[in-house]
Amino acid sequence: MRIVFLGVGALGSTTAVLCRALDATLAFVDFDKVESKNLLAQAFVKQSLGKNKAEALKAQLLNFHGVKAEAFGVRLTKENVEQLVKDAGLIVDCFDNAESRRVTSEHARVKNLPLVHAAISGDGSFGLVRWDERFTPDAEDHAGQATCEGGEHLPMIGLLSATLARTIQDFVTKQERRDSMIGLKSVTVTS
Amino acid sequence: MAILNITYNGLSADYPIELDGLVADADIKRIAHELVRSGDVPGLNLPHLPAQAFDGFVVDRLQGGHRLYLRPKVPFGA
Repeated sequence: MRIVFLGVGALGSTTAVLCRALDATLAFVDFDKVESKNLLAQAFVKQSLGKNKAEALKAQLLNFHGVKAEAFGVRLTKENVEQLVKDAGLIVDCFDNAESRRVTSEHARVKNLPLVHAAISGDGSFGLVRWDERFTPDAEDHAGQATCEGGEHLPMIGLLSATLARTIQDFVTKQERRDSMIGLKSVTVTS
Repeated sequence: MAILNITYNGLSADYPIELDGLVADADIKRIAHELVRSGDVPGLNLPHLPAQAFDGFVVDRLQGGHRLYLRPKVPFGA
């Protein structure tokens, strides 16, 4: 199975590392570059500074874990979404904006592609893993709203990413689709 | 009978609730605010919950409206 991760920042990069043992081809899509502030909350190492995030994650998986992956260092748009998720057995949305999530959902629904979303609140106190059939993207309160760039929310990012990785594993191995809510005290399966 | 799940400050709890028909998001927030302040929601006893605590929160209606989730926005992934 080909699993396409859309956005490999905090949630996407951490989840991808936890999916390295799956019998699947991992593909990463992200236009952004690794900055020093990202090292605190994302799975990137110092040697990846300045590199494209998708390419950097691909290189890290190969160099540190011996896992081959694919990388696409571009911004997802209505024009290229079909090409980027072509042949995907599963799409994993870890974007940081509602518009990209909407473009992805619209395409997945038209093409009947499995799509799971992961999302975290700005204060790092709460997150969701939810399959597309029950997901509506939340907009930022304002453009440029502070995200999880510092290390303050790293434990929650880890908890949410582990839940997402388990959800992906259950889909790959058993075709199960479970939703979860992740709070500071618990992970609750909701569907 | 519906189940209203309320998440605030990283904590989450269920409360069974009778609702007549479709209830607006604003009313769900008002009801949740009263329940949490009064201590009726196990695990979420916050008598000094600010009046604006649920401003900007989202109400999800799942399972045909039998499960309601009042939760913070989750705009971010990367």
